[in-house]
Amino acid sequence: MRARASSPRAAMIPGFVFAAAMACAGSAPLTAQEENALGRDVYDRWCASCHGYEGLGDGYAAEYMLPRPRDFTQALYQIRTTPSGQLPTDDDIMRVINEGMPGTTMPGWEEELSLEERLALVDYLKSLSRFFATGEAPEPMTFSSPTRATEEALADGREVYELIECNRCHGADGRGDGTSSPTLVDDTGMPIYSVDLTENWYFNGGGTVEDIYRRLRTGLDGTPMPSFTDLIDAGVITDEQLWNLSHYVRSFAPEDPPGITEVIRAGLVEDAPLPQGVDDPMWESAEAFYIPMGGQIIQSPRWFVPQVAGLWVRALHDGGELAVHVSWSDHSESPDTAWADFQARVLSAVGPDEGDMEPGPRPDGLYVQFPMEIPEGMDKPYFLLGDPLEPVYLWHWESTAGAAHEADARGLGTTAPQGDASQSLASEAAFSAGRWAVMFRRALETEDPGDLQFRVGEPVPVGFAAWDGDNGESGSRGSISSWHYIFLQEPTPATVVVAPLIATLLTAGLGVLLVARAQRRVREGAEGADEGNA
Amino acid sequence: MNTKPWKHPLGQAAIVVVLAYLVFEWGIWLLPPLFGVASAPVPATVVLQYMGTVVVGVLIWVSDSEERWKQFKAPIHRVMVDPRQKVLRTALMVTIPLLVAFMTFDRVRPTVSAPAALRSVHPAPPGQIDFRGETMVLNGLENPLRHEGDFNEHYEEGKRVYVQNCMPCHGDALDGQGHFASAFNPAPLSFQDPGTIVQLTESFVFWRIAKGGPGLPREATPWDSAMPAWEDSLTAEEIWQVIIYLYEQTGWEPRTWEEEGAEGEEH
Repeated sequence: MRARASSPRAAMIPGFVFAAAMACAGSAPLTAQEENALGRDVYDRWCASCHGYEGLGDGYAAEYMLPRPRDFTQALYQIRTTPSGQLPTDDDIMRVINEGMPGTTMPGWEEELSLEERLALVDYLKSLSRFFATGEAPEPMTFSSPTRATEEALADGREVYELIECNRCHGADGRGDGTSSPTLVDDTGMPIYSVDLTENWYFNGGGTVEDIYRRLRTGLDGTPMPSFTDLIDAGVITDEQLWNLSHYVRSFAPEDPPGITEVIRAGLVEDAPLPQGVDDPMWESAEAFYIPMGGQIIQSPRWFVPQVAGLWVRALHDGGELAVHVSWSDHSESPDTAWADFQARVLSAVGPDEGDMEPGPRPDGLYVQFPMEIPEGMDKPYFLLGDPLEPVYLWHWESTAGAAHEADARGLGTTAPQGDASQSLASEAAFSAGRWAVMFRRALETEDPGDLQFRVGEPVPVGFAAWDGDNGESGSRGSISSWHYIFLQEPTPATVVVAPLIATLLTAGLGVLLVARAQRRVREGAEGADEGNA
Repeated sequence: MNTKPWKHPLGQAAIVVVLAYLVFEWGIWLLPPLFGVASAPVPATVVLQYMGTVVVGVLIWVSDSEERWKQFKAPIHRVMVDPRQKVLRTALMVTIPLLVAFMTFDRVRPTVSAPAALRSVHPAPPGQIDFRGETMVLNGLENPLRHEGDFNEHYEEGKRVYVQNCMPCHGDALDGQGHFASAFNPAPLSFQDPGTIVQLTESFVFWRIAKGGPGLPREATPWDSAMPAWEDSLTAEEIWQVIIYLYEQTGWEPRTWEEEGAEGEEH
């Protein structure tokens, strides 16, 4: 059934080669590209749609992504083991083919393509650029072995972070909000974000300490990220300090990438008041749930390059009120005039020209979406802000509007705030070191028939939408999530303690009885035998 | 006394029970994929049921002969009565009740899970649909572009439509692993999966692309699907072209109406 047909373009190659051979009257040898029919077939079939048939990085999808696909003719490779400014080794190219570039649209191909296909592809990619034509194999750098991540190492790494000015782009807390951040462009003039170091699962070249160290040694060619090998050579920092820095950078991100949770648990707070503000230390000990976000590409105007990749959600309730805390990384407190040019560059880089593409001051924003009431069966409103028949109930926050307010919507673009008399939502927001935190608080039950009434112990559908204004996001151009659930924890029922206790007593009692009975029988048997002997 | 454990009935019984558990819990799930056969974990309740059957079977076997039954009981009895086994006896009498306590706790502790969503993955398609104001009869409908125009051009155009519209969710490799995929539940379909487009006629695929999530029947939970209704932005030709791309790129053949009909008669 599964006949892997070769691509139509590949079918044309023999004809093309034949024609080329005819044109040269059979005298010219085949070029490297023509010889490598397998590499060309694989490239045309899987890579050309983004990178373009000539390798110029101008495929059909190029304008639908940021960063743009690599232009192979320039031979600029970010992820290398060779010094800055040098060509990558074959293994370097193979690594990116295998593992992809996390944080970009480049996936890994190890599962999809055979080793033979991938080897041919490496050769083919090199044949797309004249820079590889000399055939000289680039020398990989020798890297020292990792040091241990001791307290001292991390403290020193922190000093190096400021000494060599990582914070200028990556920000004091690593969230990519440094003062130089809005000026960054890559070598092709495209806007480029300094990476958020708290999300190491999105690092282009991998998120381990070793990966980070190697990127610091080699730099990311074609991007503003430099190599720091010259600082070691000049004696400004030592190699060990670069390892310390790598450990420090790694420490911004959690130990493991967050898993996706379908249900957000709102813990029950029984013996203390609910958190009073967005910075209340109580939030730090509350369980955090990660909600991945995707671009709104369902209804026009669509948005292919959203900046809010995920939200962290915490929730607590006390039986009377529910408090929800949402936080996410953001390069700026939009609208920030420092980012005006950056926004213009983003908007002109994105191909699908949908909606209001004029640069301008746009706020950051957040929706928390619920159905109008807890559904009885499976039915929910349409996840994208409901539809005319089944509206949704919203908590709407905007960075320029002060307090959040309640609203409802009957589909994308139909959001209408509730009347002033119906507002029953309290909120507080804070922007600090590249991170927004917004807290909402509302009574579980309200008098307003237009509000969702929360009930303890029942899962309530909840969804999210977010906007980064300085990235040009507004209206339907933002990021969205599917429906998740929020579950308000019930008081612990007595059975949780009582049932195991009873089970233990019963089992232990039964065991004692069995052993006692067996031992008694043995004694009686022995006595019986004694009597018999007597 | 010092017979090897696998020659003693108690040892044999224990080996059978443990092996059976390993097969039910892991073997059925993990072994067939080694031979390229799809498999899935066995539900816990089914494992429990199977284990019950195995234990009953083992008990019937050991109690079948008087001699074997005595042998089987002897070590157990020894642990219960022998003064030299006091340490082991005490340890067992503590650990077994604790184990039971833990298992009970695990059963009664409150857990939070999303309500089970029963969802029809391949809902029955309608006989006909309305596409941009025109009635389109799906029954017996073939992809017209397979006999019309230049196939390579259709493929190429389908590729453009795919990467500009479908790729962010369904992935460059058509494996459902696009860069936005993790945001959406249900997850975007993998067209590489042998359970998706290869089971469907091209007209079914056309219907799903044209009408998307909002056009799903109720049993397929239309409110959850992030699949757009592409009739709003793609022409019929573009949809047929992207369908050609899906099959051509994955190497699958679409289900034909002859196959569909044959199956219908069987049922």
